Amino acid sequence: MTTPTTTEKQPSGPPLSPGPATARPARRRSPERTARLRRAGLRLVALVVLLALWQLVTALRLWSPLLVPPPSAVWDALVTTSGTHDGVRGYQGHTLVEHLGISLRRIAIGAGAGVLAGLVAGILMGTLPWVRVVFEPAVAFLRTLPPLAYFSLLIIWFGIDEAPKLWLLAIAAMPPVAVATASAVASAPASLVEAARAIGARRSQVVASVVLPSALPEILVGVRLAFGIAYSSVVAAETVNGLPGIGGMIRDAQRYNQSDVVVLGLFAIGVSGLLIDALLRGAENRLAPWRRLS
Amino acid sequence: MPSPDDLRTGAADGVQEAATAAVTPAVSVRGVTHRYGRGADAVTALGPLSLDVPAGEFLVLVGPSGSGKSTLLRLIAGFEHATSGDVTVHGGTPEPGRQAGVVFQQPRLFPWRTVGENIALALRYAGVPRAERPARVEDLLERVGLAGTAGRRTWQISGGQQQRVAIARAMAGGKDLLLLDEPFAALDALTRERLQEDLRTVSARTGITSVLVTHSVDEAVFLGTRAVVLSAGPGTVALDVRISLPRTGNDDPDGLRGLPEYAALRAEIGAAVRDAAR
Repeated sequence: MTTPTTTEKQPSGPPLSPGPATARPARRRSPERTARLRRAGLRLVALVVLLALWQLVTALRLWSPLLVPPPSAVWDALVTTSGTHDGVRGYQGHTLVEHLGISLRRIAIGAGAGVLAGLVAGILMGTLPWVRVVFEPAVAFLRTLPPLAYFSLLIIWFGIDEAPKLWLLAIAAMPPVAVATASAVASAPASLVEAARAIGARRSQVVASVVLPSALPEILVGVRLAFGIAYSSVVAAETVNGLPGIGGMIRDAQRYNQSDVVVLGLFAIGVSGLLIDALLRGAENRLAPWRRLS
Repeated sequence: MPSPDDLRTGAADGVQEAATAAVTPAVSVRGVTHRYGRGADAVTALGPLSLDVPAGEFLVLVGPSGSGKSTLLRLIAGFEHATSGDVTVHGGTPEPGRQAGVVFQQPRLFPWRTVGENIALALRYAGVPRAERPARVEDLLERVGLAGTAGRRTWQISGGQQQRVAIARAMAGGKDLLLLDEPFAALDALTRERLQEDLRTVSARTGITSVLVTHSVDEAVFLGTRAVVLSAGPGTVALDVRISLPRTGNDDPDGLRGLPEYAALRAEIGAAVRDAAR
């Protein structure tokens, strides 16, 4: 029996042979890896060149070492602030790691609360149109304010201890998460929502099984953004009674023209910020692996 | 062997036959029209149309684009409500996820869940106890020819396999009505044929009432026990024909396609679809 269907099956035979398909990944991997190594090497070279230039500029004494400390002075500052020297422990009684740790703790608690509030607000704004209408202007308004601007009010309300710092970080972290969550939740793919309803999901179940998972990648981007903003606000939060704390350390060192400690503080914030961003990025890829492929 | 003329029944006869075959038809469509939009911009997509689907029937809705066949399926699924007239499923108003399992043109699997978890979710919403779900998942996957793939990610399997999972998910609720909206249209020819053959086997063995929408005349003749051709804009019944090909659940697909009745039905439905498209 010769039907058009049997003839159709034959030409699709050869391409299915497994030969080239299994050979490809092994061949593709090595150039990818060398490219990555080359990029890392280039970055390392750039870093070394930058450090050398820095050392050169300070050695030429173009500016006073008080204004531009040499790398060696920053290194010394790192050493002295990392332990006890001449009976003095770290900087103002706390080591660099302790200063950084206290600031990170403030970010974790303050920005963490802000992220949670942003999540709740975002979900409500994304699912209930009237909530969006009411709160969207407020969130947008809050988003445009520089944290230092409302810090004064927070100090009047909450004093000069931990509370205003945590509030500042929370208020700074909330809007980006709320905005990202609201837009992601509102734009949940209609096709998948319908598929969930087709298997009998109720309204709340649709939110839990489709809307939130599909919004997760964008929510995580908002969370990353929020922690970035909280990070850049931590110095502002520690301008008043900020010791111990990395921002407080920078403010205090500025008062005594200790530019080496200021630069050290900048490096500590920058490097730890990059590490946290990398961690959040890793979480993003792990929690939403389908995003990379679709 | 019945001649093609014997196989054919008029639209009115079909409704009458259905009424006598079962006390309550699985699906009943009474004087239904459906319009999209409002006022002067409103477009009539369907009707007026009346149609009964007796339990156990595999009805295929065939028609050109714009004949309202997908609209009719969405009305039966409960995703939309008819502008006028009545659609009932087992005597009740259709509600998504209550009376029918639905297979869409795209698999619409949840990418954040594995193959097994996609099906398990449907079992959960259908009220199957947690302890029973793994075995049921495996059983359903086996029925669609995907045994042992429960742990795979949905993007790691082919388009044809994804659609098989979608069929398993639609059957997971244990509903006695299956609605399929051009389920194989997005697949390549070879995969489409395999899935048609497997769906025919599953359908013949379970006898589940089904309504399938397609623009393929071949698919209609091969899969259905009855084909209804809808005419373009607004959809009304242009042809209603019974398909009495062997349906043992063990039929040779190529043998079926070689039967003279197959060719006759194909010609008749094809002509009706061409007329309907105008």
